[in-house]
Amino acid sequence: MERAERVPQPAPPNGRRLAPLLSLLFPGAGHIYAGRQERGLWIAVTAATLLTLLWWLKFWSLLPALVPFWLWNAWETRTIVQGRRPSTVKLVLSAAIIVYAIGWRVTEIDVQRLAAGAQKIRPFVVSLVRPYYVDREVTYAAFPAPVQVPCGEEPSPPPAGAGSGPTIVPTPACASVGETITVRGEGFPPNVEGELWWENPIGDRVRLRSGGEFVTFVADEQGTFEVKVTVPDVVPRQFQESAQLHTVEARYVRDVGPWRLTETSYLVAQRMGETIAQALMATTWGAIFAVPLSFFAARNLMQFHPLALLVYYLARTALNVLRAIEPLIMAIVFVVWVGLGPFAGVLALTMHSIAALGKLYSEAIESIDPGPIEAITATGANRVQVVWYAVLPQVLPPFVAFTVYRWDINVRMSTIIGFVGGGGIGFLLQQWIRLTDFRSASAAIWAIALVVTVLDFFSRKVRERFV
Amino acid sequence: MSERSFYVRWGRYLLLVALAIPLYIWSWRTADINLVDLIQGAPKARPIISDLVRPSLLARERVTLSVSAVVRVPCDAPPPEPPPAEGPTLTLSATCLNARDSLVVSGSGFRPNTPGRLYWRVAGLEGRLRDEPFETDAQGRFTVETDIPPLLAQQGGDHTLEAELKWEAGALRPSETLRTTIDKMIETVFLALMATTFGGLVAIPLSFLGARNLMPTTPWGTTLYVAVRSFFNTARSIEPLILATIFAIWVGFGPFAGVLALSVHTIASLGKLYSEAAENIDPGPIEAIRSTGANEWQVIWYGVVPQIVPPYVSFTVYHWDINVRMSTIIGFVGGGGIGLELQRWINQLQWNSAATAVWAIVLVVSAMDYASAIVRERLV
Amino acid sequence: MLEVRKLTKVYDDGTVALKEVSFTVPDGEFLVIIGLSGSGKSTLLRCINRLIEPTSGQILWDGVDITAAGQEELRRIRRQIGMIFQQFNLVKRHTVLTNVLTGRLGYTSTWRSLLGLWSREDRARAMRNLELVGIADKAHNRADELSGGQQQRVGIARALMQEPKLLLADEPVASLDPATSHSVMKYIEWMNRERGLTVLCSLHFLSLARRYGTRIIALRAGELVFDGRPEEIDDRRFKEIYGDEAIEVEIR
Ligand SMILES: Nc1ncnc2c1ncn2[C@@H]1O[C@H](COP(=O)(O)OP(=O)(O)OP(=O)(O)O)[C@@H](O)[C@H]1O
Ligand SMILES: [Mg+2]
Repeated sequence: MERAERVPQPAPPNGRRLAPLLSLLFPGAGHIYAGRQERGLWIAVTAATLLTLLWWLKFWSLLPALVPFWLWNAWETRTIVQGRRPSTVKLVLSAAIIVYAIGWRVTEIDVQRLAAGAQKIRPFVVSLVRPYYVDREVTYAAFPAPVQVPCGEEPSPPPAGAGSGPTIVPTPACASVGETITVRGEGFPPNVEGELWWENPIGDRVRLRSGGEFVTFVADEQGTFEVKVTVPDVVPRQFQESAQLHTVEARYVRDVGPWRLTETSYLVAQRMGETIAQALMATTWGAIFAVPLSFFAARNLMQFHPLALLVYYLARTALNVLRAIEPLIMAIVFVVWVGLGPFAGVLALTMHSIAALGKLYSEAIESIDPGPIEAITATGANRVQVVWYAVLPQVLPPFVAFTVYRWDINVRMSTIIGFVGGGGIGFLLQQWIRLTDFRSASAAIWAIALVVTVLDFFSRKVRERFV
Repeated sequence: MSERSFYVRWGRYLLLVALAIPLYIWSWRTADINLVDLIQGAPKARPIISDLVRPSLLARERVTLSVSAVVRVPCDAPPPEPPPAEGPTLTLSATCLNARDSLVVSGSGFRPNTPGRLYWRVAGLEGRLRDEPFETDAQGRFTVETDIPPLLAQQGGDHTLEAELKWEAGALRPSETLRTTIDKMIETVFLALMATTFGGLVAIPLSFLGARNLMPTTPWGTTLYVAVRSFFNTARSIEPLILATIFAIWVGFGPFAGVLALSVHTIASLGKLYSEAAENIDPGPIEAIRSTGANEWQVIWYGVVPQIVPPYVSFTVYHWDINVRMSTIIGFVGGGGIGLELQRWINQLQWNSAATAVWAIVLVVSAMDYASAIVRERLV
Repeated sequence: MLEVRKLTKVYDDGTVALKEVSFTVPDGEFLVIIGLSGSGKSTLLRCINRLIEPTSGQILWDGVDITAAGQEELRRIRRQIGMIFQQFNLVKRHTVLTNVLTGRLGYTSTWRSLLGLWSREDRARAMRNLELVGIADKAHNRADELSGGQQQRVGIARALMQEPKLLLADEPVASLDPATSHSVMKYIEWMNRERGLTVLCSLHFLSLARRYGTRIIALRAGELVFDGRPEEIDDRRFKEIYGDEAIEVEIR
């Protein structure tokens, strides 16, 4: 379109008044009629594409959004017939209306959901500032009391004998699921705060909640408290028929140990190591295979023979096709091939690195200065010597720079390759997010951010030195 | 001197190698490199490769013909004779059966040389039981011998025996896979477009805050600059796939989650590229315009904007290209686009279908790559 | 003696760069090639050491047909023909010394050159040649740290390393200022006079050609249009070679 505009405009003959009408009939037709074939063709193709899209998606209700483009294209031909220059920007904007209308629909954009879901994501945002790297060991003092669920013929157990220490008494001592009982505690340390837990006959424990919030108690000056709890639905299926003894338990923190690294920290460190190692291996293998390939994909080296040129085209196409497939997709295939684990990820990243590096390398080779090659050849050097003294010194720096940069990219990619079972930190991260263990997820995310940023900085420095 | 420099140089290489070897050994073991697996697993990869070149594109419509006859169990009274029918008919050696009786089923008037199968429909139950397969001869006849399945023998009543033939007929039409792929590729491209647009729109104002030369050197200006830049760097380091996992919790599965994830990532990367472009503008024209007595807005409009528009547009187009690539996988975690279907097909080992998706991705991504290269070339 | 017979070069795109050019150069001559930009000077010089494959014609050097030489023989011939370039063509990332030493590649075995194991004599010779061109102190600098004139002197030192019998110089001073031009040309003249090298040198400026050449040939659109002594080029000849619009400029 740009180029066509530079062509001197022939004075429009009188008979071209028809142009706007034609463009109204089908976009671009009037342009072609008025002698602006290239622009007309572009417009016609655009209109046809948009119509096909609407037809395919059955989005007929969006037809009105096509009107501005349709009208503007007709209006524009008037400008052309008058010998003035039509505004491409306005035309593109009018087409953007329909394009974005389709996009909005296709991608199901729904701002309401964004607002409604905010509640669900709050815990994650809160956790982001509290990554789970360290915690303290906590020991609890726990005081159980039996509860019969549901009330049955068997006699209720006697209330726990009032010893010297703290005791709790549930009243009534039997209830059905969903019923509320009162738990009264005595002899607790004054003002102590604690939590209430429930254990079913087969030993499953849950922390009691009421209305989504955990139930807590605070003892008064005398060391007594009273809270209401709802019997949770944790009755094992095999016991549903008969009455069973469950346990309600009050506990408070007796002792807080020193700070220590969490299990999450170790896992994150280990998996980040795996991620970095994966990226290093993939980059190395990728580079090893990409170097020879890149020579075949460099046009300036492959022009000596038609067959060589054919090899060049083949190599280029292979690289482009391979580069278009995201490593994550390849990882799924390699997981089938070699099984779950970091090796599958390495293979996937290697394939992608070969393609990406091969392209960059070959472009570096294509842009070398032929002068030194000529000069070294003129001294009577053989081919190997020419490559060593004239080609390598020129391509090595960009090769190193690209490779380091690739390592950086590979580290980013290997943080997600675990999503499909390819090893690295991705698997754990996804698990933690799914299980809503947001503090651990946050630990992983910050670790990724740190490592990637550091590597980014490092690779930038290396590149600056080499180029 | 020269001799020494020779040893120094090679000595340095040796030192580097000595450092690299342990690193590589560690990486090799951590990454679990196992070439034996790679070679031994090759047979598993063979069908993948061979199906990869045979994507499912077109299919004929499948026609199903089924003809039935009633069999009474147990054999106390023969069932009512069916009315004589035109066309394909089933003939049974007996119309009522007791347990373990055998039955010869023959048919005539069917489509010649077509495979088929017998099914039992149990009286009063949903579904049907599979029985013998058969193939019709050149005259459209077949004969199969079968016996009554034990389940039917137990459950008395009028059971239906069905002979079903399936064949492909009609014109070639896009296969179901191809249609899904096209649908999802449209979604993928639009997902990338929306994300690039939203991301770009937010990134533009942010990029001014992240450009050293445009920010005042007051403490506030510096703080804001540092904050924006750190946001860019941190958010950029988190892959959009991770963001999509989070947004899928937030807004539910679907392309909207993908748009949001890619938008956030786009804000960060475009923001960084934009602000670097803004930092690299030539102060000459700005000085020249200021010296004409123009006010600040005029300086921005005539001195800054013309300089940043080409790189901004170029980066945006480039990022659309990147976003298309990313949106091909964002579906893996429920972010919409082709990823979900592709993953499903691969997991179900439907390699022909997966191949369709992969080739569609290659096509679209390469086209985007090419188009964006052309647009960028024109702009520079 | 160098004998060029009916040398023709047609590029792949159909450009006829040389049309049946014939001339002979006796040993010890300083032959200057002049002609407009695009007249085929570079093509001619590069055909002589076959950096460009001639389309037809022969180039005989001391009776040996260069155009018919096989790969091995071509290399042996090339190492006796030094060449210097307008753009110097140094390997920028290598040191000056390494650049000079590459002039010995034709005499060094492949594995020694890959490991950078240059013989003691070669190193000594390289330093001597750098001293000759006056930049011995820069031996360990990277080549791209040098000025244009210095780089061209490295180029000369590299050519000297080959101990050539013939020197091809393709516009050796076109990227240099007048004063530096003369200093570089003086080195070439010195090689011609003191070392007895035959020199084929293409130049843009007639004044330089007159000052240094013992003989001048002129190309126009790939054809030889003049062959004679410098003082024979008068105003009419000048217009013939460079076209009617041209005016001669002096370089001192
Ligand atoms: N590789 C090539 N392929 C096709 N044509 C070429 C090639 N190299 C040179 N030519 C053409 O051959 C002709 C002679 O070029 P040559 O470089 O020999 O001229 P020159 O006299 O050295 O010019 P200059 O003074 O500008 O260096 C020119 O028309 C040029 O365009
Ligand atoms: Mg030239």
